[in-house]
Amino acid sequence: MMLFVAIFAQFAVGGLTLVGLRRRPALAAALGVVVLACSAVLVAARGIGGAETSSYSVRWLPILGFNLNVQLDGFAVVMALLVSVLGAAVLVYSLAYFEHDGTYARFVGLFMAFAGSMFGLVLAEDLFTMFVFWELTSVWSFLLIGLNDKSTSARQAAVRALLTTGAGGLCLLAGVGILQVQYGTTSFSELLAAGPSGNFAHAAAILLLLGAFTKSAQFPFHFWLPGAMAAPTPVSAYLHSATMVKAGIVLLARTSPIFADVGVWRWWVVVAGVVTMVLGGWRALREVDAKLVLAYSTVSQLGLLTVLFGVGNRYATYAGVAHIVAHAIFKVGLFLGVGVIDHEIGTRDVSKIGAARRAMPTTTLAMVLSLLSMAGIIPLLGFATKEKALVALLDLERDAVGVVALAGVVVGSVLSVAYSIRLLRAVLRSDVAPERSQVAAHSSVDADHHSSVAVRIALSGPVVVAAAVSLAAGLTAATVGSWLVAPSKSLDVNAVSKLALWPGINDALITSAIVIAVGAVIGWRAPLSQSATSAATGERVFDGLYDTTMRLAKRITAVTQSGSLPIYVGVTLLVAAGGLVAGLVIDAPRLTGGVSWGSPLEALVSIVAMVLAVGVAVARPRFAGALFLGGVGYAIAVLFAMRGAPDLATTQLLVETLTIVVFLLALRSMTQKTGTHVGWTPRVLRLGIAVGVGIVVPLFLLAARASRIRPSPAQEYFARSLDEAGGRNVVNVILVDFRGFDTMGEIVVLAVAALGVVNLVRRAAR
Amino acid sequence: MTSLVVLPVLIPLCAAAVMLILRSPMWQRVLSFVALLSSLAVAIAVLVEVWTDDEILVTRLGGWPGSFAISMVADRLAAVLVVVALGVTSTVLIFAIGQRSRDEQSPFYHPVYMVMTAGIVQAFLAGDLFNLFVAFEILLMASYVLLTLEGTREQIRSGTTYVVLNVIESLVLVVAVGLIFGATGTVNFAELPARLAELPDGVRNGLQLLLLVAFGIKAAVFPLFFWLPDSYPTAPSSASAVFAGLLTKVGVYCLIRVQTLLFPGEMRGLVLVVGALTMLVGVIGAISQQDMKRILSFHIVSQIGYMVFGLGIGGTAAIAATIFYLIHHIPVKTSLFLVEGIIERDSGSSSLASVSGLARRSPMLAMLFLVPALSLAGLPPLSGFLAKFAIVRAGLDDGHYVVVTVALVVSLLTLVSMVKIWVGAFWGEPSNDRDISQANILLASPSMSVATGMMVALSIAIAIGAGPLYEFAGDAARQVLDVGGYVVGVRGS
Repeated sequence: MMLFVAIFAQFAVGGLTLVGLRRRPALAAALGVVVLACSAVLVAARGIGGAETSSYSVRWLPILGFNLNVQLDGFAVVMALLVSVLGAAVLVYSLAYFEHDGTYARFVGLFMAFAGSMFGLVLAEDLFTMFVFWELTSVWSFLLIGLNDKSTSARQAAVRALLTTGAGGLCLLAGVGILQVQYGTTSFSELLAAGPSGNFAHAAAILLLLGAFTKSAQFPFHFWLPGAMAAPTPVSAYLHSATMVKAGIVLLARTSPIFADVGVWRWWVVVAGVVTMVLGGWRALREVDAKLVLAYSTVSQLGLLTVLFGVGNRYATYAGVAHIVAHAIFKVGLFLGVGVIDHEIGTRDVSKIGAARRAMPTTTLAMVLSLLSMAGIIPLLGFATKEKALVALLDLERDAVGVVALAGVVVGSVLSVAYSIRLLRAVLRSDVAPERSQVAAHSSVDADHHSSVAVRIALSGPVVVAAAVSLAAGLTAATVGSWLVAPSKSLDVNAVSKLALWPGINDALITSAIVIAVGAVIGWRAPLSQSATSAATGERVFDGLYDTTMRLAKRITAVTQSGSLPIYVGVTLLVAAGGLVAGLVIDAPRLTGGVSWGSPLEALVSIVAMVLAVGVAVARPRFAGALFLGGVGYAIAVLFAMRGAPDLATTQLLVETLTIVVFLLALRSMTQKTGTHVGWTPRVLRLGIAVGVGIVVPLFLLAARASRIRPSPAQEYFARSLDEAGGRNVVNVILVDFRGFDTMGEIVVLAVAALGVVNLVRRAAR
Repeated sequence: MTSLVVLPVLIPLCAAAVMLILRSPMWQRVLSFVALLSSLAVAIAVLVEVWTDDEILVTRLGGWPGSFAISMVADRLAAVLVVVALGVTSTVLIFAIGQRSRDEQSPFYHPVYMVMTAGIVQAFLAGDLFNLFVAFEILLMASYVLLTLEGTREQIRSGTTYVVLNVIESLVLVVAVGLIFGATGTVNFAELPARLAELPDGVRNGLQLLLLVAFGIKAAVFPLFFWLPDSYPTAPSSASAVFAGLLTKVGVYCLIRVQTLLFPGEMRGLVLVVGALTMLVGVIGAISQQDMKRILSFHIVSQIGYMVFGLGIGGTAAIAATIFYLIHHIPVKTSLFLVEGIIERDSGSSSLASVSGLARRSPMLAMLFLVPALSLAGLPPLSGFLAKFAIVRAGLDDGHYVVVTVALVVSLLTLVSMVKIWVGAFWGEPSNDRDISQANILLASPSMSVATGMMVALSIAIAIGAGPLYEFAGDAARQVLDVGGYVVGVRGS
């Protein structure tokens, strides 16, 4: 219950900010920090206090099993703490980072809404619940990337991110649906017990992986993440490195124990992870924008996490959990640090950010520590977790998957060290002077803003704290590591391991040492100013796909919605007649049974009517057409009269006469001939459709009439007409009594038509 | 209690008649509200009655016995749709009055609006095929007059497409009614199931196809939807909101009756394929447009496809999902058109090229758009997600993997087009025009904003109350599928 209260409170602050506190965003942010801190305390108290897992569920749509189930197991505690603590820290930072205008209010509102969604996501106990929060985080991410919506590139990046993760989300949804239908549950524990296998499990596994890979920016869906850096730094730090992009990892962590033995799972996860890790590392080494370096390094680290959770080894799960924590801490510190530099000196260019060193020694030192943690250098937390990763991978069976995983991670780690060292050089570089012009150009900087101690503390505080935590946790790796055993076990009961500051000399340490040495050399020699080699292929592919879809859509719509009324009418009539033809084909033998062909005179009148009808279609002068139409009506009136319905015939004659008169009056003010000349092909087509419909409908009428087996209801009308309704003319009694309601309806139709005519005539008169 | 059923039809019709004499705008407005709200009250009473008792309420007009009379029939599905329809027409009326557009000022607006409402309600309640045809005529004529009320060249032009294709629809329907009467000797819904079942296969199939075509035109399914995207965008916003929300749903409702009552479970495969193509062709049309009203109009088609898909799956679970979809979709679609109306009143245009930066100017308006837009795209936790997932689940359960895939792809494309509107109209630099950019869009016409807010609130309420509502949809589906129960309920024997 309290868990939902925490989620709800975070949403509530978000909603409140967007609606009520738009003019007091700082107050809203303060409120947000309090709520996040309370959530953290709540989670910590529950997680540490109670050994047993607490869970709660909301019955939403129980018939379909759409219920929201959350639980606070060990892994959820770790993730929820990351979400709430880092959220609070970033929010404090944002107070100083933004100007307190409408954009900041929007940021705070969306940020809190995101925090609530992410909190829900990590607590989810089943795939359905996870999906609900999953999609929400995509939406908030979209809106936050587009926070600066005046910038075209920000808008584009937001759309790319949303559509990529949205497509993945739909795959996930399909997977959830399949699992629900096949196993009647999406609960992680129940699915584990069910042990899915076979085709459906395969399909579901692939769909889940697509969801996870798009969300966590795995190759080939990684391109949206660097683009998302168009968002303000606090957004990048929180959503696009520490929390949201981990959603896919969380999904993998939760589902790997279930699907690890299903066909392609391990192969795909390992290959995608390894490729992503190497590719991200390579790009991180070449980028010149420090934020992009960090973005690609995030891509790379997510690749590592994917491998760790995908291989399904008891050490790897533990290493994965530990590395999530380590990565979140150092990466938030780094992003926020780059943000501080950007904020203060107005550049993120790696060849220039060294200029901030002198002005901000504390921040610089903090960043150095975080970079060392990212490089995996003793005694920081990153060292201990990277070490565990290597231990786990060395422990793998030496089958093909294991070798690929190990080799890939070693290469990826070399690159990690290299880009970390390159960034370290950039931060420490002393031979650049600050460019004041850039400072002046930077919108959010002004003199008062600058000097305020509070602003400085709010900006640098989280950076320093993050670095300090990396260091302290590294020094006390054994203790921190012991806290992570339970969370790992909640994912995989077999998960074991521990962290250590000094693991002793073993294979992993030697590998580590080699990795660091090689990486350091590469990083040291990598140029700072070299521009990125190629434009991001992923973005190009995405844009190409998007544009092609749009072009194709335009082409198809030009056909399906041509705007030509003759085509519309033709298709509609053809479809209607097609249905009848289908019926006739099945029942052809019945056509003639029990139908009288009438007298020769009736046949003659009918033929006259048909000839006149052809005349309507053929005649070019409009008034001739109207006359022919009237002729058809008169012929039908004659038929009515011959069949013993004189009153019906009279009515028909009156209506036809009136129609012709009105027609001719109206035609006086129109052009004499029917529309523009049409070519032969359309004319033949039109004629064909008209004749076809004209033949099919009467044929079907014959078939329908022939198949009646019940007696005519006429007798009942006759019987009741005089006795009960008091009328001798049955047709009249039907119209005014038996079916008087229909008649009233038709009168209403006429009245409304008259109103419409009066209205149009008046409008035209004006 | 039983004579109540006809009142929601008669009250608006009487009000319309009075309004032709009483032409003061003030009195017309008051009378409109009185009529709609009293009809709504009656409809709610009927709904409560059919919800609590497993009973079908029937009014036999003229007091003639059994199947001889025209019956107005309120089962659960009809009753709930009448309530939703009257709720929507009342809300849109608030919007239309606030809009103070030229069409609402016309002395004909209110009476015709009343007649259209009566037509919609009658179509839901009709227990007789010919009476249903009459209801369609009323609907068609009233909606055509509303569509062309301003009488602009563009409206007359697209009104022609609208009226010609819909008259063809009337023609197809009346031919179908005639053929059915010829073959079975009855047009009463309670008698038709047994009589139709006696017919030889070919005639039965032909009649079913003819009805599917007639109602398919009304519901705007592929390949019979042409009239909709060409005519709705030119209608005044308040009119197009009601059209979008309700008119096509009347067609869907009739399709449900055809597939469950008259020809239970026949030709599911065809319906499935039509559903898939409708979804796909509709959304493809939507993403190719640059005008909000046109995008939204194509989406009506696309969304109808989901309901037809549900209908094609068949069975209680799928019909329940379809009914839930139907109910959820009405407020969502209506509110999107209402938001568009607010934008159009403010900016004088619905083209994405000429509107931008609305989110900065009015965050509340942005939210009023975003909630139904994301609901339409099927994002959780909104009602559209539940409805879509319910249908997808039913499809997976029955093994229709291809159509499910189509549904999911269409879902993504729906998101694409909603994002297109969002990025085009709500993001970016606000208009430079100082007069425009300083004005508070929502306060400019509070009653338009309130009406839109009410619709959005309704769609959120549907998401929150999905549990009980879906239970109701399930009950309604069971009742709809129980042909024997319907026959006994209407005959009253």
